[in-house]
Amino acid sequence: MSENYEKIQKEFFNQPTIESNVDNLEQNSVEAPRYGCALAGVYATVLGLKNAVPILHSGAGCGVGNLFGTLYAGGESCGVNEGGTATPCSCLVEEHVILGGEDKLNNLVDSTIQLFNSNFYVVISGCVPSLIGDDVDSIVEYYEDEHPIIHVNAPGFKAHSLEGHNLFWDAVIDSNLLETQEIEKGTVNIFGVVPYNHVFWKGDLYELKKLFASIGIKANVIFGDGDGLENIKNIPKAEYNIVLNPWIGVRAAEKLKEKFGTPFITFPGVPVGAKQTSSLLYRVAEKLNINKDIVNDFITEKEEWFYRFAEYPGDALILCRPNQYFAVVADTAYAISYTKFLTNEIGYLPDIVQITDNPPLEVRQKIIDEINNSLESTIKPDIIFEADTYKIRNNLNNRPFAFLLSSSLEQPTALEEWGACHVSASFPIYGNAVLVNHYGGYYGGLTLLEDLVSTFVGPL
Amino acid sequence: MNPKGNHNNQCNHKEHGTFKIGSCKRKKIKQILGVDLDNKPEAQPIDLDKITSPNREQRAHGTNIYYGKASDLLKDAVNQNVTMDERRFQQSGGCVLNFYLAVRVSTIRDAVVIFNAPVGCSSSALGYRELFRGVPEALGRPAEYKLNWMTTNLQQDDVVYGAGEKLRDTIIEAQERYNPKAIFILTSCTTGIIGEDIEGVVDDIQPEIDATIVPVHCEGIRSRLVQTGYDAFWHAVLKYLVKKPEKKQKDLVNVASMLSYTWQDRLEIERLLGKIGLKVNFIPEFATVEQFEKLSEAAVTAPICPTYTDYLSRGLEEKFGVPYFLYPTPTGFENTDGWLREIGKYTGKEEEVEELIKEERAKWEPKLNSIRNEFINISNTRKNGEKLQVLGALGQGRLVSQMPYFDELGLDTPAAMAQDFDELIIDELADIIERNGDFNLMVNTFQAAEQANVTASLKPDLTLTCPFQGGSWKRDTQVTRIHSLRGDPAPESAQSGYSGAVAFGEFLLRAFQNKAYQKTLSEKTKPAYKDWWYEQEDPLYFLDKELDDDYALSK
Repeated sequence: MSENYEKIQKEFFNQPTIESNVDNLEQNSVEAPRYGCALAGVYATVLGLKNAVPILHSGAGCGVGNLFGTLYAGGESCGVNEGGTATPCSCLVEEHVILGGEDKLNNLVDSTIQLFNSNFYVVISGCVPSLIGDDVDSIVEYYEDEHPIIHVNAPGFKAHSLEGHNLFWDAVIDSNLLETQEIEKGTVNIFGVVPYNHVFWKGDLYELKKLFASIGIKANVIFGDGDGLENIKNIPKAEYNIVLNPWIGVRAAEKLKEKFGTPFITFPGVPVGAKQTSSLLYRVAEKLNINKDIVNDFITEKEEWFYRFAEYPGDALILCRPNQYFAVVADTAYAISYTKFLTNEIGYLPDIVQITDNPPLEVRQKIIDEINNSLESTIKPDIIFEADTYKIRNNLNNRPFAFLLSSSLEQPTALEEWGACHVSASFPIYGNAVLVNHYGGYYGGLTLLEDLVSTFVGPL
Repeated sequence: MNPKGNHNNQCNHKEHGTFKIGSCKRKKIKQILGVDLDNKPEAQPIDLDKITSPNREQRAHGTNIYYGKASDLLKDAVNQNVTMDERRFQQSGGCVLNFYLAVRVSTIRDAVVIFNAPVGCSSSALGYRELFRGVPEALGRPAEYKLNWMTTNLQQDDVVYGAGEKLRDTIIEAQERYNPKAIFILTSCTTGIIGEDIEGVVDDIQPEIDATIVPVHCEGIRSRLVQTGYDAFWHAVLKYLVKKPEKKQKDLVNVASMLSYTWQDRLEIERLLGKIGLKVNFIPEFATVEQFEKLSEAAVTAPICPTYTDYLSRGLEEKFGVPYFLYPTPTGFENTDGWLREIGKYTGKEEEVEELIKEERAKWEPKLNSIRNEFINISNTRKNGEKLQVLGALGQGRLVSQMPYFDELGLDTPAAMAQDFDELIIDELADIIERNGDFNLMVNTFQAAEQANVTASLKPDLTLTCPFQGGSWKRDTQVTRIHSLRGDPAPESAQSGYSGAVAFGEFLLRAFQNKAYQKTLSEKTKPAYKDWWYEQEDPLYFLDKELDDDYALSK
């Protein structure tokens, strides 16, 4: 692995400081942005916690709307027991706008606790209660002595879904849920992966947990694994917090440092392929003082396996599609990881990278530098921050790329419009059912290689 | 096929637009049920001078909460006693915008939909570019088409200072970007509460814009009944988009197609009407703007769902003299016969229709009979010959069209579920009760817990579910879907007309051939709700009478 590369990681992502993201997010009219609203982000986050139930204090469409716009969009997932039309909702209408929605919410919380097989309740306030001035905190306080319950104020006009994920963590950390505990050596929490919005969250987190376990680190991945509430309550036990995102989850890590003294490190995304994954493991192991031999042995073994397998599609790659230009349209974290992987492991040429999740202005230069300074190619991509699907599509016109990694929005017409082979790799993905498929880690990197080569391969 | 026959067809002296069933049938219903349909409330005329339709609550005393005898609900409806109580527990069953309009209107071609809303209200439309892509061109999907939508992406500042300018700029941007034929503006809770003057902006900017601007008032908070969204949409279509007819087309039939009807349903309807020289104008899903403009030229507006089509049908008649009928719909053989006969009447094709029915029945009836025999075989082996019981329904429109079809299949429907109920289907409900006998009716809009409770207590042999029901499909009995969706091109997913009735019948039979997924998941995953919920027998356990009184006082 490249030492230079590791150095760059440290240099650029050691001490990011992000105060509040809300004011910086772009506020224009757009076509089909690749995110939902603040409520949607909190909602997706809660549905990622096993045994937690979201309680929407909102109009009646906010749950079922997100069944289509978040869950189906997040790898064609259904709502299971608590999502979509099963989500408790105060279903506010004009009468509540006039008289207030507090009684309705109070009844809803009470009945939800009676009814649901769950142990954690998250009241999510949408646009309506915010506009009419409901005192939601008082209602939630009434229940919090008896039940684990928090309130996240997340009106849709306040922020978008990825910032909504940050709002969820603000609410958790400001609540009484987390208590100071004795630090458990060799444990970490993983932040920065947003359920459904990072479409491969289930598989990515599953692999990361196993990887860390292999070098003796117990990773609390929080989402999609074990009991959600227990995971959250265990957060203060960690020796380190690891944020796999340049901006999402960073504020949570900063707050946890302030409240519990937990140090944290950031990494630009879920690592894709051997170089990024080994780099992450080395860094975390170093911070946690893990025995170097154990780490080296494990990484050597994994890399041997990885590169042996990476050789198999060699004929297809070298004979048919070597040194191809590629385009990436994805959220910050996936965009960085995919661009590095295709450039530094497959030898492809980065043509254009469009970042769709509206990261705060103050981290944008860092993101650009992170990509440009870590690429082994002599050419550097055009890097554009763009949320508007109309402009994203126009930006792809008249360019040399032959591969496009993006949402499934581009999938049906990628070949005819841009002559590009398409891999559905970022939100929204309607066209693939995503259960365990993922591009993170060693196994995931090979999966991405497999999916990429499968777009063009045939009898040679 | 149905030994009782369909009185609808035998005795059809209906007074147009008021009654959907004939006078002798009404007399019979009065004798049997003691309900005098002649006293039912009058339908209100449509007033296109208003900016939007009335809510279904006002227009037709609709409700989304009821459990009891269908005949009691019918009596209440005729006497205008239907109530809508508040729930202490409620689930996100959908609002006027989501998903009733957001996921439908975004499939209109050559148009732009502007969601005048915070960024989340439109996310359900993110599938727009993929929705109909799975339909092969060989089955009639155009190779190229454009679907566009934008959101005004309202922010805190817009909420405080108003968003009129932003809407105006977005309309201009939409015109420049896409050069569309129409620009639909869909409103939201937020624009409703902050009191945005949408019409003011539209009147001001329309002269500068080539596309016809169509503001639709679908604020989520405006109505408890999501079906209000249908009326609000059709109101805007009638008010802004439908043109005066250039010529009347005697061979054109308007059909409002829905999310829950597949591409194959369209093909079957086109096939049947094509055989007698008629063309179909399917709106609104995947329609072009021109198809809306020409709605006024049709010979008749025919329903596939009466509650969906009602406002459009009445409006087209009142404003442009296009006749309509609302019952029956082409689900099952009897109803398809009746539907074709109605169309035949308005298009001067009565004789051709009779010929068509004869031909189609000769072809498809043996297949339907063999499906019915299969069900009889299953009931003989499993239930000593007692009929298999099926529980399922969706909108009130599907309720009244599907129950007679299940009867044709030899299935018993002791109870049914409907999303909504209002005065618009009084006649249809009376007809069903008269034809099939009384039954228990549950009315709720996607209330998963109530549906899980009813299903647990009734223990039907076959449960038909719409996907959006929070795990209530996990059962140790036969469960399958009640319908597929619009972009599904598979022949097995059809339900309409004769071939659709056969396809759906065969599909239902398959549910009895393997229940491993549903059964295994019911064993291996925990249920959504605590045990007491499934054990107690009142699906409306959380009905809040007290709150309803407050609500009544507040009005």
